[in-house]
Amino acid sequence: MSGTKTVALTIDGRAVTAPEGANILRAAEQAGIDIPHFCYHPAFAAEGNCRMCLVEIEGLPKLELACSTPVREGLVVRTATPRVEQARRDVLEFLLADHPLDCPVCDKAGECQLQDHYDRYGRFPGRFVEAKQKKDKLVRIGRGLVLDRERCILCARCVRFLRNVTGTGELGVFERGARAEIGIFEDVPVDNAYAGNLVDICPVGAITAEDFRFQTRAWFLARKPSVCPLCSRGCAIVVESVTGYPLPEAKRRVYRVTAGQNPAVNGYWICDLGRAGRHDIDEGRPAGLLRKGVAVDGEPWQKALAEVTAAIKAVPGSDRPARIAVVLNARLTCEELARAKALFVTGLGLDRISFADRTPGTADGLLVTAERVPNSRGAFAAGFDPRLPTIEELTGATVLLVFGSGLAAHFSEEALGRALAAVPSKFLFAAHAGPLDRLFDLAFPLAVPAEKSGTYINVGGVRQSFERALSPPAGAVPEGEILTCLAHGLGLNLGDFDVC
Amino acid sequence: MINAWKVLREIARGAAITSRHFFVNMTFHTLRLFGVKTKRRGAVTIQYPEVRKELSPRHRSLHRLRPREDGRPSCVACMLCVTVCPSECITVEAAEDPDPEVQKAPTRFIVDLSRCCFCGFCVEACPVDAIRMDTGEIRLAATERSALERPLDKP
Amino acid sequence: MFADVLIILVKVVLTLMWTLLLALFLTWVERKESAVMQDRIGANRASVFGLRLFGLFQPFADAIKMLFKEDFAPSFAQRTLHWLAPTFSFFFVAVTMVAVPFGDTVRLFGRRIPLQVVDLNAALLFVLAMLSLGIYGILVSGWASSNRFALIGSLRGAAQLISYEVALGLSLVGLVMVFPSLSLARIVEFQGGLLFGVLPKWGIFLQPLGFVVFYLAGMAETKRVPFDMPEGESEIIGFYTEYGGLKFGLFMFTDFLEVIVLSALATTLFFGGWQVPWLGDGGFAFPWGAGIKVAPWGVTVLRVLSFNLKVLFFCWLQILTRWTYPRFRYDQVMDLGWKVLVPLGAVNILATGLVLAAR
Repeated sequence: MSGTKTVALTIDGRAVTAPEGANILRAAEQAGIDIPHFCYHPAFAAEGNCRMCLVEIEGLPKLELACSTPVREGLVVRTATPRVEQARRDVLEFLLADHPLDCPVCDKAGECQLQDHYDRYGRFPGRFVEAKQKKDKLVRIGRGLVLDRERCILCARCVRFLRNVTGTGELGVFERGARAEIGIFEDVPVDNAYAGNLVDICPVGAITAEDFRFQTRAWFLARKPSVCPLCSRGCAIVVESVTGYPLPEAKRRVYRVTAGQNPAVNGYWICDLGRAGRHDIDEGRPAGLLRKGVAVDGEPWQKALAEVTAAIKAVPGSDRPARIAVVLNARLTCEELARAKALFVTGLGLDRISFADRTPGTADGLLVTAERVPNSRGAFAAGFDPRLPTIEELTGATVLLVFGSGLAAHFSEEALGRALAAVPSKFLFAAHAGPLDRLFDLAFPLAVPAEKSGTYINVGGVRQSFERALSPPAGAVPEGEILTCLAHGLGLNLGDFDVC
Repeated sequence: MINAWKVLREIARGAAITSRHFFVNMTFHTLRLFGVKTKRRGAVTIQYPEVRKELSPRHRSLHRLRPREDGRPSCVACMLCVTVCPSECITVEAAEDPDPEVQKAPTRFIVDLSRCCFCGFCVEACPVDAIRMDTGEIRLAATERSALERPLDKP
Repeated sequence: MFADVLIILVKVVLTLMWTLLLALFLTWVERKESAVMQDRIGANRASVFGLRLFGLFQPFADAIKMLFKEDFAPSFAQRTLHWLAPTFSFFFVAVTMVAVPFGDTVRLFGRRIPLQVVDLNAALLFVLAMLSLGIYGILVSGWASSNRFALIGSLRGAAQLISYEVALGLSLVGLVMVFPSLSLARIVEFQGGLLFGVLPKWGIFLQPLGFVVFYLAGMAETKRVPFDMPEGESEIIGFYTEYGGLKFGLFMFTDFLEVIVLSALATTLFFGGWQVPWLGDGGFAFPWGAGIKVAPWGVTVLRVLSFNLKVLFFCWLQILTRWTYPRFRYDQVMDLGWKVLVPLGAVNILATGLVLAAR
């Protein structure tokens, strides 16, 4: 912000500087002063319909909206005077007058702004004795979204999101006054790849996702940031999971994936593809080590890995470039790719290294890119040439190491079966079970990106490091650990901390 | 030096108390045996399975889910009991209720009596007064663990 | 000759049955007495065909349970010794009963039959010796269990028993000085006389201090609650930690046998044994001159009854004691033994000697 002009003002007696044109709410937020609000969202222009962010400005007779009042030099703002507090209580009372007492059944409870604000700024006994308005409580508005009109406080964040971000504008506010309600136009449902964000931005529980609806409560979830591995955009995501409690045999480990914030990559949004990433984390994971597709009970992967090192050692050094083939993928983190480079290229001198990934999709011009892997830039950066292997390349090998199940997307099962039949020692390292499992001598279960830490370089060249958001299921390990242990078994030092 | 006299006195007092109890109780036992009914009984214990003590209305016994008019449990599966339970003995799985006014109903509501400590927090936490511990059922022993996992949503 | 052997055998069987049945009965008494003391009812559920009889069948139910439990010994235990230990305990206590006179002699088929298995001339020494051999049961059980806690418990037990044996022995020296015999039958006979023409000449009146020391030391020998260092029920692990089923049952049973033996000895030595106050062979002769004639068989019955009643009283008293007082600390047990009872026993001997010399 060094280029823009800044103005100095006083909020609650504190000297605050803010860029010119910013509103008071943002300026206060940056100074660490919380001004409650419902309808304002930093991604949209202020609309000022919820009236929650009223503040007192010296020299002005009435309370002003913090979200739509730009900062001016020398402005003196007070956010905690009795007048402001009374105004907040009044706003809350008006909102709550017609708000159902749904908190016990509402999925938003626990992360609901109305709840939080009432808890912090309200705390008045209810005076509303009249019957509350009955409205539709279960309106399916498309893309697995459910609208509850009773809970809606008409902040119109959803309407603005669809109008400004996706440009599709499926939702609108209908009727007026007390009968005003959110709705779709005729029978045109919400249908765009970013609809899941409506749940995130709804300050109350008016829009909920059927996928998450009633599955658990918000306070049971552990929220850990990670990076979405499903396309080369690499959006910031939040993995929300429970471990063990409250349901001893929880149906899910990851209950949902929500948008993280990264202004340099995705802003506030993620696509529905990324939200569906919880299936990628939780589903189709192998229970353990597979031998010819059959689960081996109780065999630790470290022991099985000795077979891999033995097979590599059996190939004389000079024959290795011609007889050992490695298939990598671009879901490996930069660190893992560097390790792979040090092990396979520098250490063993291999040159038959290829990449097999998911087939590209189409870009939608907003966030989703055509490339459906997170780190192909990282592969380039590590010095690899991410090209697909040919069938001959696989057939000619004596030892074949395949990371990921991407091969299945490019070759038919029969073709692969025929090709691999000629390979004496073949090993698969994959996070998900698939048709490839039974073609290999051994299939090692791997961790998915949410279960490891590392760095991805996205399509725009942004490096994002992330920490592990979940523990991998029993027996599953990150590729990096496999590579380190392989190197250890082969007597090579990759300069890592030895995990074996 | 221990005061020997005091020690002996206390020893004698102890024996006096226990033997007084013995003889007094024995007298009443004997009287009853010969058909002389006195108000006082030889023992204060209750012959449990045959004689039941009346439970206090505040007594916390086996949980139940209060039914609605149509017989389904009035629980809305808000999981506040699950949240508040200190022994983590309640398992609730929720699903959409066909009635949009009810919205949410449990598909499974299991209390694991082998973990329950009968603190009654779940009853206090319940926002719809669905769970109560007023069945008066106190014979909860079972020979298998699985029998202690009581599904409350099924009668 | 054959008749003598038969008579001895019958007496042995009768004595054993009396002892075992009384011990079995005592297990019930213990439960009931403690219950009544504590305002409870006690075991009353065991029934035969719906007949409950105040839980009198409980001992049999217990015995059947003990018998049918798995005969378990830990893999690290020494199996033979593990079995031998409770047998030792049981045997040495049970065998003391042979020296105890249950009554006077009876005339049956022209024979004079003393109501006593054998009249040993050194019966008192025999009894003391057998009681001290009981220590082996405890020591062997702790050793055979190969369990540190059991071993420590058994060592505690051995130390306690040996300590109190000293006091026990000393307390009886005074008695032997007064009744110059070691034969229990003779001692009982001596107690038939009158003291100052009024009081029966019982050991309790001649040796009050001796009785106190004897009774306390004897209680300690039974290893029951105020003195239950060796086993310590649930709190301090004791010598039968590794025992269960029948073998444990034997130990438990030995406990009750010891109660009976102590009661029988206290009765015999200090309370006139089978003597009934003022009852001679021909009938009662009260000190104020009155008299009641009693048939010889009546006298025998009264005397056996008297012995039994006294034994029962002491059993009751011991159970009362067990359910009244809390356990001593180990150092207190040792203090009581060595610093109180042993000196008191010595004082008793000295006083007795002085009185005897002065007379």
